[in-house]
Amino acid sequence: MLKLHNLSRIYRTDDVETVALNNVNIEIGQGEFVAIMGPSGCGKSTLLNLIGMLDSPSDGQYYFNDEQISGYSEKQLAVIRKHHIGFIFQNFNLIEELTVAENIELALLYHNIPASERKEKVDEVMDMVGIAHRAKHMPSQLSGGQQQRVAVARAVVGNQGLILADEPTGNLDSTHGHEVMEMLRTLNDKGTTIVMVTHSPAHADFANRTINLFDGKVVTESVRAA
Amino acid sequence: MFKNYLITAWRNIIKNGMFSVINIAGLALGLMSCILIMLFVREETGFDKWLPDSERIVRMHSAYYVSGNPPFETVRSAGNMMEAIRDYASNEVEEGVRLIHFGATVRKQESALAEQITLVDGSFFNVFDLPFVHGSAQTSFTKPYDLIITEDIAIKYFGKTDVVGEIMTVCCVGPEPSPVPVTGVIKNLPDETHLELGMLAYVDPKIIENNAGLNTWTSVNVYTYFKMRVGTSIQQLQERITYWVNNESPLLDMYLKNVGELAPGAQISDNMKHKLMQLEDLHLKAKQDAGNMGDLTPMGDHNLIVTFTIVACLILLIACINFMNLSTARVSHRAREVAMRKVLGASRSQVVVQFLSEAIALVFISMILALILVELVLPLYNLALGRQLELALFTDLSLIASLLVIGLLIGLGAGIYPAMFLSRFLPADLLRSSKGGESSTASNLRTGLVVVQFATSIALVVCTAVIYGQTLYAQSVDVGYVSDDKLVLNVRAAGDNRDRLKHELLKLPEINSVVFSSEVPTQDNENNNTFTLIDGEHVNGENPSVLLNYHDIGYDFFEAYGVKPIAGRLFSLDFGSDMIQFEGRKEGDKGRANVILNQTAIDKYGFTSAQQAIGKTLDTNMANGHLMTIVGVVPDIYFRSIKFGVRATVYSMNPNRLRVASLSFNTSNVSQLMEKVEQVWKTNVPMQPINLQFLDQMMKAQYAEENIQVKMFSAFSMLAIVIACLGLYGLAAYTTERRTREIGIRKVMGANIKDIVALLVWQFSKPVLMANLIAWPVSVYLMLTWLESFSYRINSLWLLPVCFTVGLALLLLAWITVGGNAAHVAKANPIKALRRD
Repeated sequence: MLKLHNLSRIYRTDDVETVALNNVNIEIGQGEFVAIMGPSGCGKSTLLNLIGMLDSPSDGQYYFNDEQISGYSEKQLAVIRKHHIGFIFQNFNLIEELTVAENIELALLYHNIPASERKEKVDEVMDMVGIAHRAKHMPSQLSGGQQQRVAVARAVVGNQGLILADEPTGNLDSTHGHEVMEMLRTLNDKGTTIVMVTHSPAHADFANRTINLFDGKVVTESVRAA
Repeated sequence: MFKNYLITAWRNIIKNGMFSVINIAGLALGLMSCILIMLFVREETGFDKWLPDSERIVRMHSAYYVSGNPPFETVRSAGNMMEAIRDYASNEVEEGVRLIHFGATVRKQESALAEQITLVDGSFFNVFDLPFVHGSAQTSFTKPYDLIITEDIAIKYFGKTDVVGEIMTVCCVGPEPSPVPVTGVIKNLPDETHLELGMLAYVDPKIIENNAGLNTWTSVNVYTYFKMRVGTSIQQLQERITYWVNNESPLLDMYLKNVGELAPGAQISDNMKHKLMQLEDLHLKAKQDAGNMGDLTPMGDHNLIVTFTIVACLILLIACINFMNLSTARVSHRAREVAMRKVLGASRSQVVVQFLSEAIALVFISMILALILVELVLPLYNLALGRQLELALFTDLSLIASLLVIGLLIGLGAGIYPAMFLSRFLPADLLRSSKGGESSTASNLRTGLVVVQFATSIALVVCTAVIYGQTLYAQSVDVGYVSDDKLVLNVRAAGDNRDRLKHELLKLPEINSVVFSSEVPTQDNENNNTFTLIDGEHVNGENPSVLLNYHDIGYDFFEAYGVKPIAGRLFSLDFGSDMIQFEGRKEGDKGRANVILNQTAIDKYGFTSAQQAIGKTLDTNMANGHLMTIVGVVPDIYFRSIKFGVRATVYSMNPNRLRVASLSFNTSNVSQLMEKVEQVWKTNVPMQPINLQFLDQMMKAQYAEENIQVKMFSAFSMLAIVIACLGLYGLAAYTTERRTREIGIRKVMGANIKDIVALLVWQFSKPVLMANLIAWPVSVYLMLTWLESFSYRINSLWLLPVCFTVGLALLLLAWITVGGNAAHVAKANPIKALRRD
């Protein structure tokens, strides 16, 4: 589904050059559940941002569904994102001024889907993640676990084939963390490709492949036995 | 999608209550100022455009220049000009008309009312196509003294408008009070016109032929209008008139005979200008040609309109800067939202559209508030301006369109920077940075905009202070006479009863004196004539012929006004021969009379002292030719507003021109005094309306326009400061919020409240100080230029302390604005601040 070839990301300020990713080569197939691990500052989130096209690589090629998208414009990348990729963040990144339902609906607004159909889809995913009874609440009125469920719903409401989760359980207690991981596994079982950054080996065990990063490089890869 | 934008915008407005209030209130105040000024400007610029063919109608103004004398300029022209030019330039001129205004008395049952009658040529309605209610242009103006009145006049005298055939008794269209038939009724004229027409009478051509003041090429007593032919430009007609003046008119011969040789290379049109002005320009631009002889209705001022339009734009700029500053300052609070929208597939243009929509929505909320505010303050505004401005929001399409365009432009103008700024970041940048894209560039830009805001506010306040100071100065300058406790009574209608009236008035114990004159101060007319010094050695080789302004005064005039001679004597019955004599002169003989000159006239003749002038004789063609002996010299007094300065003046005693009485009184019960004076008037001058005014009120009225300007400037400058301070408060609140952690750390390190307040106050003092450096030179330059137009003006050195005081005041205001919030934050427990972050 996606292939990174010698991908690098270097951050430059006036005096300092920081290599966040250094010649990374990764291939992820359709339907995989991949966990990315490593110590803080090793480049996990940078890698996820590049995969999600939220950031641009400094060097290397990025193939998405066999298309080389490294040179794509911001507008082209936005189109790919909205059709194929869903995001889940550690801090949920819900828009505080919108209700639960409106936050989820936001992902569909940019698809030009009619209002009635949007409502149907939103209701469906809210049921799926068990948040329907909180549809009209604002994010600030929800617990962390509930907020992350909303984020999951928002990530999947557009039927995206790829979910990128950046430490989705990082701000949750173990119970809620486990709930979220179960949701991801269910999605993966249904065919959604998931790439997840995590610090937790227990949560990494939900994945069928784990990539370890260190100082911006892939150091090991391990595949979980079926 | 749009609904989503609106929901987000609305919830953001609610969530950020204080910032929203500051944004909306600032913008509403700015828009209110702008709308108020716009209403004023729209009315001022709309004058006379409603008249049919207004673009083809022009008026001819006159300006005479004689070397060594101040220019004589007026919006009137000489009586013979219209026909001569109309006939000569028949290819360019379709029709011409003269208007001669004079005060008349109209009988109404047992009383008489003062009215203004306008004598016009029969061609009037060919130039001014005014709509008739009864009668018509063809049937109503066929013979001399046919009278056409407006609906208001018809209702005033007859209680109805269908009055064609009714008789009005008018004094004095003809030689005696005469019955005049009403031949037509026209619609009332709208307020937006310079024409003051209530009663129009068809002028008898014989009146013009037999009247020396009208049958003339040089005495300017009529208003002359031409309607140009279709396709003729004002420049073409102007050139034609100039050619006629130089080559065909009798003006050159008259000039050579009465004034002297032209300067080498000069043409008569250089000395006697006849300038055309488009009808639509008259209201705003006629003043520039008017000299001291302007229109009867209050005219506008083009420069004032330009100035207030600029002020409106500046206030709006200040309000827009608030909007931009507060929007970009709140970037960090919107960064996550923008990031998520982009993560979910929003393109940059969609983010831009979202933020522009928000800005425009906010502007229109402010616009609604502004319109409510305008409705609330409009009565007060009208009272201050003496206008009847209306906000015809539901009927005036052009107003609605203007407001919509203004709203959209402000929304786009103020919203474009925040929109572009927020949308340009990559989502990852926004998600990664806790500052949400806050950069030193944005911060510097905000500081720069605050500098612009405060520079504008300071400049506005400095200009207001200088205009206020100059207006006060002009009104406080010693005018050279005592103006207190004086009533001015027009005695023209008293005719032969004038002396009896005086006698009876003096019987009132409250009246100290009654003195006559041709004019009283503030009533100055441009009465000019050439006076030639004929005897004695010619002083210092100066030109003995001087164009002097002349006033006629009765005995005791100067005594009543507290003016003492600086040489010679005042007019006195003890000397018998002071008065101009018309009786008992042989044909061709010059009369003899005495005159008094003012100091400026003495200087013009080149006398080294006032005493040197005493006993000298002046030759003039006035009053059928007179030799006038200078018997006294008085100090310069301001017969007219100080803004016009003092002219060289001669005071003579022509009994035929003593039209006004000055009544000095000694009571504080002025209403009772006025009743008594009116009673005396009714007894001695029956069937004539009384015209009685207080001199000090007439003097104040001279500065009415300046006082209105000062009021407007003060009000709008204050608003500008309020808006700028609102913005500064918002920005300071934002900055302290953003620096909470830093403040916490500083407090942990030992900083006290004073240190923290000083830190924040200093941050905002810098832009205000910088604003002073920009505003001072700009406002000093502008005000020095403005002051140059006044003969007597405040010392320009005053500008420096004014600038300093205004700058300091604004700095203090900024400190108060920022300090309150800073102190509040500085008092907070540092641990809370650190924990929160």
